Amino acid sequence: MSDLLSSLLQDARVWQGHKHRKTTQPAEPTGYQVLDNQLGGLGWPRGALSECLLDALGIGELHLVLPLMQRLSEQGKTVFWLNPPHTPYAPALAREGVNLDHLVVINTDDQGDFLWTLENCLRSPVTGLVLAWPGKLASRDIRRLQLASEAGGNVCVLFRSRRQADQNSPAALRLELVPGDHQDLKVNIIKRRGSWPGQRCSLALGHRADITTQDSSRVVQGPWPRSQG
Amino acid sequence: MLWLYLHFPHLLLDHIHRNQPSTGALAIVDGAGHTVVQACPNARDFGIEAGMRLKTALGLAPELSIMRTEARQEAWLLEDQARWLYRYAAHITLSPPDGIWAEVSSLQKLYGGLPSIWQTVEQALAERKLTAWVAIGHTPQAAQLLARAGKGECTADKHHILASVGSLPLPAAGFDEKSCTRLQRLGLNTLAEVFALPPTELARRLSPELLAMVQKIQGTRPDPKAPWQPPHSFRQKADFIHEVEHTEGLLFSLQRILSELEEDLCWRQQDTDTLLLILQHRHQQATRLRIRTTGPEHRAEMFLKLIRLKLDHPPLSAPVTGLILAVKRFTGREAPLGRDLLGETEDLDEAWHTLISRLQARLGEQSLKRLAARADHRPECAWSANNPGKPGKLRPQASVTLPRRPLWLLKAPRPLAQPPETWHSGPERISGGWWDGQRVHRDYYIAQLPGGELAWVFRDVQGGWFIHGWFG
Repeated sequence: MSDLLSSLLQDARVWQGHKHRKTTQPAEPTGYQVLDNQLGGLGWPRGALSECLLDALGIGELHLVLPLMQRLSEQGKTVFWLNPPHTPYAPALAREGVNLDHLVVINTDDQGDFLWTLENCLRSPVTGLVLAWPGKLASRDIRRLQLASEAGGNVCVLFRSRRQADQNSPAALRLELVPGDHQDLKVNIIKRRGSWPGQRCSLALGHRADITTQDSSRVVQGPWPRSQG
Repeated sequence: MLWLYLHFPHLLLDHIHRNQPSTGALAIVDGAGHTVVQACPNARDFGIEAGMRLKTALGLAPELSIMRTEARQEAWLLEDQARWLYRYAAHITLSPPDGIWAEVSSLQKLYGGLPSIWQTVEQALAERKLTAWVAIGHTPQAAQLLARAGKGECTADKHHILASVGSLPLPAAGFDEKSCTRLQRLGLNTLAEVFALPPTELARRLSPELLAMVQKIQGTRPDPKAPWQPPHSFRQKADFIHEVEHTEGLLFSLQRILSELEEDLCWRQQDTDTLLLILQHRHQQATRLRIRTTGPEHRAEMFLKLIRLKLDHPPLSAPVTGLILAVKRFTGREAPLGRDLLGETEDLDEAWHTLISRLQARLGEQSLKRLAARADHRPECAWSANNPGKPGKLRPQASVTLPRRPLWLLKAPRPLAQPPETWHSGPERISGGWWDGQRVHRDYYIAQLPGGELAWVFRDVQGGWFIHGWFG
């Protein structure tokens, strides 16, 4: 081994994979044991950004954060929804046991307002969770949000398009969400702070539409005209 | 009874000087803009005096700043002074346009003697950078005359006061011009000589009104003064000699007004949640800004932060010539709850109010919503959005009985473009709304689309298929 390399190793300036120890960053359990295991037994990182990359809504992306939302709203922490693409449906949330009193939905007109609002929410001690649907985000903006998130110590989940999976991002956790064949959600970890990425798991989320079995016997009749299909 | 009289020789000038850090020569002109009403010391150095024509004044000092007065402005200013004086004295009477009486004999015990009352008032005047001539008299009229002449002394001795009043020259007595001339023609020069005349002769030869006035000064005729009640609102105005183009320029006087508001609220033991800020422009309609906090608030710094947000975004549309801050809504103050004795734990309640107020100030109130479920069968009517208020302690009952619904509801149903892959459950027939004209008659299904999404689709009466929600 060259002198240069050994001196670098002695100074501990090179991170070595095999000496990896479990990180003890603050985190909130996701509520899904399978996913928690893949995330080093921790869950959603607190005081850092998380990104969920997905193509279409309705694949169970809200159910991924629902256990956390339930828990935080029950603790009296405020959950912010920033620029949601559709209306979060109150009766469904109430049914899932989310305390609606602690939910605040914010819609902003432009990107400047969006970033300002998100930063303010992240820095506040009352915030438990921020769900945000940003449009395009510059890398500089994400870094700034990351700093705000560190100051506040709460969970922030950004929902972005899967096209941004290749883009570099300072977020601490990046998950790619793909719908499975049986109403499940395949989670592909693209990036995770303090460990190797690449873990995959699948969460059964059929219960979100009361689908228990694979057969569709509960449908009275498939009403779709076959001719059109 | 003892009366204290405050005479404000140039209230308008004081008012303007409080709102700008420093000014050059300044003159106040009357509404028509012809005559100088008040001139500041700098202007007087140039030889400008009250009563001078504006043209002459401008000839003497071309750099002179000019401020036009409104008729109501002086009355408002006087009321402002009465408002703070009311904290020290209970019985106050206004003497427009430039004086205030305060009854002080009942206060002697509270303050521990006349000298300390005098001192308190002087100190309050100095804090507010006001010029006022103070005098004490055994009658309201005597106090007023002494104050206007600038001969006020801190004494309760009736004879001494009468002697001081008596030494005043006749023109300073405030008699009407005709009586004054007649008295002077009689060879009288001071008030003491008028006092010496027999009352019946005075009434017969001059006028009964004059006698009444003399007797009121002396104290032999009652002169009741109706007590003034402070209005239940707050209103402060600041005028700028030079137009203010940037927000920073407004903050100087806003800060002062807000700290006066804070003091006022502290005295009342009240809070407020709405401020009205009116910015006046020269050629444009005034900008009215409503600043709302989500919770009761009284601290100037909190208001200032919100106002700063409001002013920065959007920026000022035109230069500002004056601003008015008004508060009409007051709420009783509540003791803060849930805070430990030493104040070590963070007050989350307050942090919540601060955050929501900040967001509302910048984004507008309608941008923030709190969701609630409503008892209605129609999906689009089964929820409502309200302004976020502080979450109550009351827990909503567990809603296990609610039917299965998607977490996303589309703002408007979207036509189903491609046939679903799998049908999971349905139909659930929802029919209602005949009572308010928004008729809904649909069969809902849960279906999986080719992309893998679970959608809430329905077929309406016409047989069209629509997506109404996503099972997120």
